[in-house]
Formats: sequence, C-alpha cells, structure tokens
Amino acid sequence: MKTAVNPELQFHITNFLHYEAFLLDSRRFTEWLDLLADDIVYRMPLRATRERKDGATIVEDMTFFEESKTSLTTRVNRLGTTSAWAEDPPPRTRHFVSNILVESGFPNDALTVRSCFLCKRSRAGEIEAEEIFGERVDVLRNVDGQWKIAARTIYPDQAVLGVKNLSMFL
Amino acid sequence: MLKHSVDNRIFQGLREKMEQGLLPQWIFTDPHIYELELERIFARTWQFLAHESELPEPGSYVTRWMVDDPVLLVRTNSGEIKAFLNSCPHRGTQLCTADFGKKKAFTCPYHGWTFNLDGDLIGVVAGDKVYGEEMKKDEWGLRPIPRVERYQGMIFGNLDPAAMPLDDYLGDMKWYMDIILGRSDGGMEVRGLPQRWVVHANWKVGLENFAGDPYHVQTTHRSTVELGISPQDPLYAGYGHQVVLQNGHGINVITATAPGKPQRPPYQGLPQEMWPMFERNLNADQLKVFAKTTVFVGSIYPNLSFNSPVHGSEGHLHNYLNVRLWRPLGPEKIEIWSWFLIDKAASEAYKEAAYKGYVGSFGPSGTLEQDDTEIWARIVHASKGHMARSKDLSYNNLLNYLMGLERVLPDETFPGPGVAYPTCYLDAIHRATHEYWLELMSKEEESAGENGCES
Repeated sequence: MKTAVNPELQFHITNFLHYEAFLLDSRRFTEWLDLLADDIVYRMPLRATRERKDGATIVEDMTFFEESKTSLTTRVNRLGTTSAWAEDPPPRTRHFVSNILVESGFPNDALTVRSCFLCKRSRAGEIEAEEIFGERVDVLRNVDGQWKIAARTIYPDQAVLGVKNLSMFL
Repeated sequence: MLKHSVDNRIFQGLREKMEQGLLPQWIFTDPHIYELELERIFARTWQFLAHESELPEPGSYVTRWMVDDPVLLVRTNSGEIKAFLNSCPHRGTQLCTADFGKKKAFTCPYHGWTFNLDGDLIGVVAGDKVYGEEMKKDEWGLRPIPRVERYQGMIFGNLDPAAMPLDDYLGDMKWYMDIILGRSDGGMEVRGLPQRWVVHANWKVGLENFAGDPYHVQTTHRSTVELGISPQDPLYAGYGHQVVLQNGHGINVITATAPGKPQRPPYQGLPQEMWPMFERNLNADQLKVFAKTTVFVGSIYPNLSFNSPVHGSEGHLHNYLNVRLWRPLGPEKIEIWSWFLIDKAASEAYKEAAYKGYVGSFGPSGTLEQDDTEIWARIVHASKGHMARSKDLSYNNLLNYLMGLERVLPDETFPGPGVAYPTCYLDAIHRATHEYWLELMSKEEESAGENGCES
C-alpha cells in the first residue's frame, strides 16, 4: 500500500472528512449532499462470520445501502418531511473518523482514502447510546479544486447491527 | 413462581376482555408472560429456519436460532436437509460458529469429536484408547431438531416431536404461499444473506405489524406520501381483503385500488413473459386473486412475516419477497432477520432493480422501514410502568382491537380460502392471532411433561 507522504495532502483530506462529519452531526444534510459527486456509488455490504478457508467476511451480494446521488437525495428530502418519525425529534449523532490513510503519494484527481468510523447515536432520554463502527473506503475526486466523494463503501464490523435502523448516513 | 403471577384466573380475565376486542398492554412486555411464551409457544410451534436456496449443494450449511437454541442446518450428501442442535453432545460447546459455509464434517474445537453431515459421530480423538471398544458411537451423534419439514422451499423446525405436521399447521396459508413462492418456474431464491439487526421491541409487535396492520401505513409511513412515493389516498392500503387463516396465521391481499378506479397492472407488475408460468403453476382461483393484487403482506405464527410489494412507476414496476423473522431476545428485544427473495426465472436486470428497491424501502436503512422500529421501541418504553402492567386490568390498560368488530362481515365471494373480509383496515387477524396466543398459553403442558423439557 502506498500511503500519503505529502503532509499537506494528508492534512487536506483529513480536514475534508472531519468537515463532512461535522455537516452530518449538525444535520446540514443538503450541504453534505454537495460533497458528493453526481455519479457517487454509496454502498454498505454485509459482514458475515465465516471460517478462514471460506474467504472474505464481506458479502457483496446483499447490502444495507446501495445508493446513488438520486436515492441519497430522496433520503435527505424525507428528513425534511413532517413525518420522518425516526428522526423527529432528532436523535443526536457523533461521527468519529480516524486512522485516515491516503493511498497515493501525490495530489492527483482521484485518491483512495481509508478511514475508521464510529458513529454514536443518542435518542430522547435513553442513557444507552447506540453505536455502529467499521471501515470506510472512499474514492475522492478533485473537481475544480474541490474534493468530492465519488465512491464510498462502508464495511461494518458487526454481523448483527446494534442499531434499530440506519436512518443516519455513515 | 410463574404459576402465581400468570395463572388461569388471569387467562380467564383475558379471554373475557379479548372477546370484547380489548387486549391488555402488559402482554407485550411482561417478563412472566415471556417465560411462559418460550415454553408454551416457541417450544411447540413451527419456526422458520431457512429457504432451501441457502443450502445449494451437499455440504452447504447455515447456522440459525430457534429463540435461544442454536441450530446447524446442513444439506447432506444425499441432498436431504437436516437440522441439529449446534452444540457438541460431549461437553455442549457450540460446534459451528460461522454463519454459512461448506464442509464435509464438523469437528468440535474442544476435544476434537467429529460429526459427518448426517450428524453421526465419526471421529473421537484416541477413541479406542481412552473410551475402549465399548463406546457406542451411534449413541453420541448430534442431537437432531425433533421435526424439520418444508413447504414451497421454506424450511421450518419444531422442538415438539408430537407437533402437528407442518402441512396441517400452515393449513390454508399454503394456498397463498403457492402464489407468493411458487408462481414461477423454479420458485424463489435468496439473494446473499439475511440482514440482521437488534431492536427494542416485543416479538408480537413485529408479528402484528405485518399480519394485520395495513392501517399503520398511512401514518407511520406518511413521509413517503409527502415525498410522492406512496399514494395520497389515506385508504389505499385498505383496499383488498384481509384473510383470517388457521393457527394464528393471516394475510392481507391488497389491491391498493379504490373500487371503480382503473386497475393496477396485473400480477404485481411482473413482466408479461412470466405470465404463462403463472398459468402453469397456479389454479384458476389463485390466478384470479394474484391478477388483482398489488401487495401480499402477512404472518405465519408465531414469528415469521412476509411482504411482497410493488415498487417503481409505470413501465418500471418490480416486485420481490421480503421474509422477516422476529427472533425474541427477551420480552423487550428482538433480533430481526430480513431476507430478500426473488423469482429465479426473472431476468438479471429485473432482479437487480427489485433488489435496489428493497434496500431503499424495507431494508433497515429503507425509507419505509426506518420509522417502524422507532415506533415499536416507543411501545416498549411506554409499557414498563405500573399503570401499563397492572394485571387487575385497572387504569384502563386495555388496548383497542375493535376495528371492524361486528361491523365488517366476511365476503363470501372471495375466491381464496380462509375468512376474507372486504377491507384490510381491520383488526380481524390481530384478534384471531391473539386468541391463538391465548389458546397456546393456557394449554397445560401435557406433552411437554412427557418429553422432559418442563423445568
């Protein structure tokens, strides 16, 4: 794996992902959509428990998200209705993004970026917070000096999710 | 202890209230009720294990749960499907921890006892030297799930050796399963794995929601109406028939079309090239019902539900089958298992479009699914207190199951079996489901005692 040796690029990408998390946690979903390329492929396959000899523990055939910009926009629009009960009253989310690896040494018009995520969610007066965590693999594209997410694949670590729904974005 | 808190006097009181269309709030969250449900319902009724397409060839296996009993389901070398308790009979270790895979034999990681696909003990480490020749290996095979039977590719298990056959248990539900699962050549296939997630809810709420509750659609899922994805007419999910079947099962055959309005495309908008298959595989009455239906949604008692909807717009309609298992993890918690099934005979492009429609709507991130679990969790939150739990049935803690009671009469002209009412906005299935619940719950354990599973 070639990782970023250019500290400036690492800084920009890290900042970009932190800013994205800030938009999601601030519920500024329309601005979040602006960070996504129009042809984005946004997926979240399933994790399975398998014996090592049987191969990968990610099952690509079934997903939790299989989205395009259009379908993500529909999801954001739904949050703007008066009856999106799962998000009204709004739960509080906190996206923690870390272990950011930029898989290219030089600024380019496309980069592969790996990161770990932990999303905690607090609802109403519940003391227990829900959480979901795993790895993301993004393809970032530089469009006229602006980074855009051209692809995101979310790999959850749990085979059985501990969240009651996936009404958040990851 | 159990008998003191939930005795026959309580059940008698329940019966009287249920005849009036009332159901106490505490049956959904009471821990004593839950313990009794495990003994009297889940240890005696048929529970869904898998669809046969999940076990494609000899050696294929999946691991499943019947509430808290771990199950290892395998396809043997002769092609048979067998189910065993997924626990080594030597010291009780969980034998297989993978979700699925392929194997010739299962070896316990504790002392190395090895079992073949038929469950026979075929290898004991240093067997003759430590146990001697007198060890009877055939007495130490994997413990089978007492009954495993299937219908239309759906495999069910039962912990009660004396249970009625699956065929009898499903009863007239089979007529509808023929349409939903057996309409096209080759039947249905599971795509990938079931999605699994944990929700604070009681298993009966999931069951109810699919079995007999099209009424919730217009409010719970109103956000999709606001977006223009679902129709504006607040009655749309009510058009069609609600059909009460035996043994707590029920199905809604929804046309989603107001009387006198233009019919929707026939056969759930399935491609016309598939229609001759339907004519081959279904009888005239089944075809008649299928032709008019937009959505089939229902439940097979106790904890299996299904939804066969139509998504998309004219020219791009697609249909699929979503199967749901509500695995109880306690009175206030379930693990949801959600399978996507599609007609094997459909084109790859159709299958792909239908799969995307499913993930976006009824998967755990779906625009329709998200709000259900939020609301089910609120039932649990609001049902823990003294007012909700008082078994004296005081504080008016009786919930309303009155919709259509003595007001909506069966439609004798409906071509399908069961008691069919001419609307889906009705509590007829809920009332019948909970009556069956009461019947099972108040049955003394005559067979359980013999099997020695009574504690």
